[in-house]
Amino acid sequence: MPSDPSRLIAALARDQINLDLKTLDLCFLAGLDLRADRASLASFEEDVLIDMFEQVCDVVDPGAERPRKRATHAIQRLRDQRMLARVDGAGIVRSGEYTLTRLAAAVVEYFLADEALTRESLTLLTGTLRAQLAEILAAAKRADTEDDWRQRVVAPLRVTVGDLVGGIERRQRGLDCQQEEVQAEIAKLLKADWFGAVERCQALLDTTTNTLRELNEVLLRDTHHFVALLQEIQALASEAEQAESEEVVQRVIEHVDRIAAWGGARQRAWSDYYQYVHRYLRDVVRLDPDRALSQRLRDQVASWPSTPFRLLVAAAPSIRLLRPLESRVERPAVMRPRTEREGSPDLVDPEDAGLNIETLVEGALAAGARSLAEVTEWVLPQFPADLRYAVTGRVADVLARITRTRSAYERPWRTVAPRLEVEDWELPREGERR
Amino acid sequence: MTTSSFQSLEEAISDEHFPEMDLALRRGRHVGRDDGAAYDYLVDALDHLEPFYRRFGCELMQRADGYLYLLPSGERLGRRQLTAGEMLVGQTLALMYLDPTTLQHGGMVQREMLLQRLSGLLGTETLVRTLNPRRRKFDERIAAETVRTKVAEALRRLTDLGFIDSVDDVMLRLRPALMRFAEPVRDLSDQTAALERLVQSGEITLGDADAEDENDGTDGDGTEDDEEEASG
Repeated sequence: MPSDPSRLIAALARDQINLDLKTLDLCFLAGLDLRADRASLASFEEDVLIDMFEQVCDVVDPGAERPRKRATHAIQRLRDQRMLARVDGAGIVRSGEYTLTRLAAAVVEYFLADEALTRESLTLLTGTLRAQLAEILAAAKRADTEDDWRQRVVAPLRVTVGDLVGGIERRQRGLDCQQEEVQAEIAKLLKADWFGAVERCQALLDTTTNTLRELNEVLLRDTHHFVALLQEIQALASEAEQAESEEVVQRVIEHVDRIAAWGGARQRAWSDYYQYVHRYLRDVVRLDPDRALSQRLRDQVASWPSTPFRLLVAAAPSIRLLRPLESRVERPAVMRPRTEREGSPDLVDPEDAGLNIETLVEGALAAGARSLAEVTEWVLPQFPADLRYAVTGRVADVLARITRTRSAYERPWRTVAPRLEVEDWELPREGERR
Repeated sequence: MTTSSFQSLEEAISDEHFPEMDLALRRGRHVGRDDGAAYDYLVDALDHLEPFYRRFGCELMQRADGYLYLLPSGERLGRRQLTAGEMLVGQTLALMYLDPTTLQHGGMVQREMLLQRLSGLLGTETLVRTLNPRRRKFDERIAAETVRTKVAEALRRLTDLGFIDSVDDVMLRLRPALMRFAEPVRDLSDQTAALERLVQSGEITLGDADAEDENDGTDGDGTEDDEEEASG
């Protein structure tokens, strides 16, 4: 079986584990368990099973038809759910022989056995446990070999001590259930009989309180001894370098601690409940023996919207905490640090290389140039090659300003310098210029 | 002859519990046996603290159910009346406090049970109208949500006042101070006479909602108002 809880749960889910037991099934199982107990039977023949089922049917479902057929189905259903096991191994040769499984025994035990922890059962269990631990300690002192440790220490700790501690724990759970029943019983008694139930409620409270106190005393005293014995065994195991024994002892110590903690926790919880119920009996039940207050209060709530009243309560406001005194601080205006945002202009060479284009254009016109291309051709040689493209545009600009140009609808392109052409304009003759 | 372990008022107010208890009482808290040492302190110092608080125009009240509270009778110390929600929730919880079923669970009840009980006692429509007196028309879903909101707010305030303890989101622990809500019906006399007596002693006030109900801090449903107005 895998030890990892997740894997274990996954395995159960994969196998689709489930239980589906009706009242009739449970009663059938209980009947078989009781029969086995009284007649000291280890197993049941098929006829006994059917006979028992018919008896249970008579009680649970008296009008049921064909009980034998129903018994056959019930036996099969319980076998499918691992509640009954066939133990004869004869197959179809003869009718079977059956026994209750461990699962069925546990289910029946839960419903039938009164396993709540009592002072008697606890004293018996703790006494046996103490004797057992003393024996194991003696064995541990004598143990020489690894086999000795395994057979005389580990095995008894796992089986005998484990079962005894488990038995105490199981009975503790039984007592928990019993306490819940007592709480429900007290509420039921008060509902049914109100003032008349006070004495019985008080008795129930006192009985459970005494039981818990006694159990806690026994647990406190005995668990202390258990832990002392177990620690001694653990020290011997440690000296003998028996890791497995040490681990098993540690597990038992933790189990014993859990049992001891249960006693304290339950006693505290019960103490709170006891005080609450005690106050209730005194302040509510005894002061209102006819239980009229509840009815009057119910009427009051129902009629409150038409005849409202309101409780008054004190409502002093919280103390106002003033902030510590501070002299007025002049806060500086929010601003950006001053910086010089205007950069100094870059120094560059003059574009006209020291020559006035307008003068040059006028010179060209005076020399007789009759078109834009001729003027440009006349001017451009005065400038370096890299400026000629820009100068060409300026020549056109100056010419347009100082003279009147004419142009054909389709202006001809003329070369004025290497790799430079202009759309040509014609210029008026000398007498036509403005 | 006094049984107090405090010899003087000075000793009583020098006790470590005094500042916290004084503030709690002035804020309307009901201090009960469940408060342990704080309650024991108040009971022990009662002989000195009663005249002390009387000078502030209020009475330090001790009830046989096992709780104390401050009841202002003048104007020196602020006071307020509980809202409709607080009153309805408080009375219903008092009823549940008396129920043996609650006893089974050590005085613990579920919030859901409170709503069921409240609705069962008053009827859903009355409950909705009492908690929302200004509202004329109701959408069922919004009305239910408003009731839950108002009840939750009332529970929060009743917790602050020491009537209940909020254990978690589901469970409430009922405290003996809830019996204050049952005072008008505590004895067999006529309820009207009992109410008049309580009014005279300054425990309660009669009448409809005042401005405090309107501002009880739970009006998170302005949308609904708008919707109503829009729909005419």
